[in-house]
Amino acid sequence: MELVYSEARVRRESEELSDRELALAARGGDMVAFEALVVRKTPAVLSVARRIVPNSEDSHDVAQMVFLRVWEQLDRYDEHFSFNTWLYRIATNLAIDFLRSARSRDKAHGATLHVVRQREEATSGETSRAAEDGEVARLFRQASERLTGKQKAAFVLREMEDKDTSEIAAILGCGESTVRNHLFNARRILKREIEKICPGFFAGRGATRGGRA
Amino acid sequence: MTLACPETRLRFAAYLDDRLGREERSAIRAHLASCAACRGEASGEDPALLFASMGSEPVSAEDAGRVLDAVRAGIALKTAERRIASPARRFAGVAAAAAAAALLAITVGSPAPPRAPRELSARASVSHASDPGAASVPAAGASALPPVSPFAEAAGPATGKLPADATIYDWNPGGGQPRVVWIVDRSLDI
Repeated sequence: MELVYSEARVRRESEELSDRELALAARGGDMVAFEALVVRKTPAVLSVARRIVPNSEDSHDVAQMVFLRVWEQLDRYDEHFSFNTWLYRIATNLAIDFLRSARSRDKAHGATLHVVRQREEATSGETSRAAEDGEVARLFRQASERLTGKQKAAFVLREMEDKDTSEIAAILGCGESTVRNHLFNARRILKREIEKICPGFFAGRGATRGGRA
Repeated sequence: MTLACPETRLRFAAYLDDRLGREERSAIRAHLASCAACRGEASGEDPALLFASMGSEPVSAEDAGRVLDAVRAGIALKTAERRIASPARRFAGVAAAAAAAALLAITVGSPAPPRAPRELSARASVSHASDPGAASVPAAGASALPPVSPFAEAAGPATGKLPADATIYDWNPGGGQPRVVWIVDRSLDI
């Protein structure tokens, strides 16, 4: 009974610590702190992984690899920098690597995967907003197939995860101008691909301004 | 910060030109997430606005639990692997040191015409360390090498049993002095 109480108390205390404090405690071998970090950061990591890696099961694999890599490399974490940036860097790097290997696998099994995905998409039941979200998400999955890993990661971090350009630069390990370049190219390619998938999608819509990017 | 529909739509251009601060950007994204009409308007503008309304995907407790369980299992596996590997690694270190010591100098008592020491690098085509024969180099104290050492013929078939990055030194001072052949195997990390 005492043990259960103690564990609960330790977990509660962990929840009050910052990411950095938890990371430092985990580095010292505190597994409760490490698990608290995993629980806290799983939504963010999984969300990014799902956007970059198209398959949901694969994104789970990426998330697991991210936290294992964090556990293995905690010694290398420099506490003077944001833990989030370090975590996102690991997550995007692993997701990009996974995407590359998935793409080479897809080339070999392209036809089968296409059929399986279409079936998966057709059988999922959705509410109206969820259906709209699902439709947009599917459009992104399809259109973003032509993006490079870095372009995709930059776009996901900027437009879906709402990160600043400077933070994306730190995550991707490049300059801010390179990030802006990735974003510009990503938008241009996405627009082109969406037009291919849904001809006339951008034409005649959006009165504010047309033909951007 | 919250924005109404007209205010939001007026800011689309600035959003796309990256002229907004973080707060305004977040306000636009929040508005798009909740307003179907503006979302419809924005979606035709640019892929950035179209996908901005998607936001972060919600993650269920079940999904989060799966990740945590898998991470726990992964850590347990890696910890077990390290436990198993560490005695083996210690043993491997000792074995490598012993092997290096054994290879360091092979004294051969066969007189031959004097020659300057020469270095013969093993060719890239030799077998790799994974080859069980790769370590089958005569140990110290082994019987004398033939008058013409097989190691002197680095390009010959005898070197096929050496690792690719081994360097062979063959020194025959002559005058009844013993001939010395030594091998530096850089693949042994000691």
